[in-house]
Amino acid sequence: MRTLLGIVLAVAIGALLWWGMQTKDERSELPSALAGRPAPAFDLELLPSYQEAWGERLDLEEYLGRKPVILNFWASWCYPACYEEAPILEAAWRRYRDRVLFVGVNTQDEVDKAERFVAQFGLSFPNVYDPRGKVGIDYGMYGVPETFAISADGRVLGRHAGSIDAEKLEAMIREVLP
Amino acid sequence: MRRGLLALALVLGLAAAQTVGNEPPPDLSPQVFEIAKKLRCPVCRGESAAESNAGVTEEMRRQIAEMLAEGKSEDEIIQYFVDRYTEWILYEPPKRGLGLVVWLAPVIGLGLFGLGLYSYLKTTARRAKELEGVSDEELARVEAELEEGEAT
Repeated sequence: MRTLLGIVLAVAIGALLWWGMQTKDERSELPSALAGRPAPAFDLELLPSYQEAWGERLDLEEYLGRKPVILNFWASWCYPACYEEAPILEAAWRRYRDRVLFVGVNTQDEVDKAERFVAQFGLSFPNVYDPRGKVGIDYGMYGVPETFAISADGRVLGRHAGSIDAEKLEAMIREVLP
Repeated sequence: MRRGLLALALVLGLAAAQTVGNEPPPDLSPQVFEIAKKLRCPVCRGESAAESNAGVTEEMRRQIAEMLAEGKSEDEIIQYFVDRYTEWILYEPPKRGLGLVVWLAPVIGLGLFGLGLYSYLKTTARRAKELEGVSDEELARVEAELEEGEAT
């Protein structure tokens, strides 16, 4: 009886240790606290290269509830994740630009470095500048890159932490399309 | 008059310098760090928002300072972050639900260890007592039996 109890205890401790080691990237698996809730609006200055086409500032409020939005948080110092996903985002924007608004939020970065990044990838969707990273906190962001899917009625439907691949982005877009 | 204008220009210049750029406020009150200690750094492991130097925690501390200046209470500020990050952002797990298990686990573990130790000591003491109760005749008989066994 005692031996059996010892074995059970050893197996239980081993299982606990194994489970502890399995929690590799808990952040990407955490659901967004905003899921199903209205997306927080923001009014931020656009990076200089977008101001001619989009104006000096972008007020998300003007789009929320009117059009689905894919919101992507990034920074030029976020290597390689942000560099990997940038061409994927641009390709998807070119494909869906009539039906979905893509907005990039450059977070805690420097304007000239951010401009070099958008030029490198030829990003044509509007990118705003958030040097403090205030909007990131409003969205409960863990770290760049992170992508949020906002439905046509202005609710947050999904969140992806880390570099997004074409398949996942496509799924997010399909989810927000009316 | 000229001195007064110079002083005014200096004050205005310093005030403008404070608002230029995106530097964190130079002096954060100890209360900011007290609250930040209760929040996790979202991009670190095992660090609170008070200890970490990550950009996001700098912004968290700045927002805490701003909310304190607006007259918000500690509970309201912590709730602000919980609303955005869920209870994951709390540095110490809440004392309920699954969080309670985390809090009670050391106590339960210690209790089980104490129980095991008590049971072991009790058994050892009982065996020692049993041996004390063996008479000389009995010992002689067992020894004789053992010797007999060895002879055959």
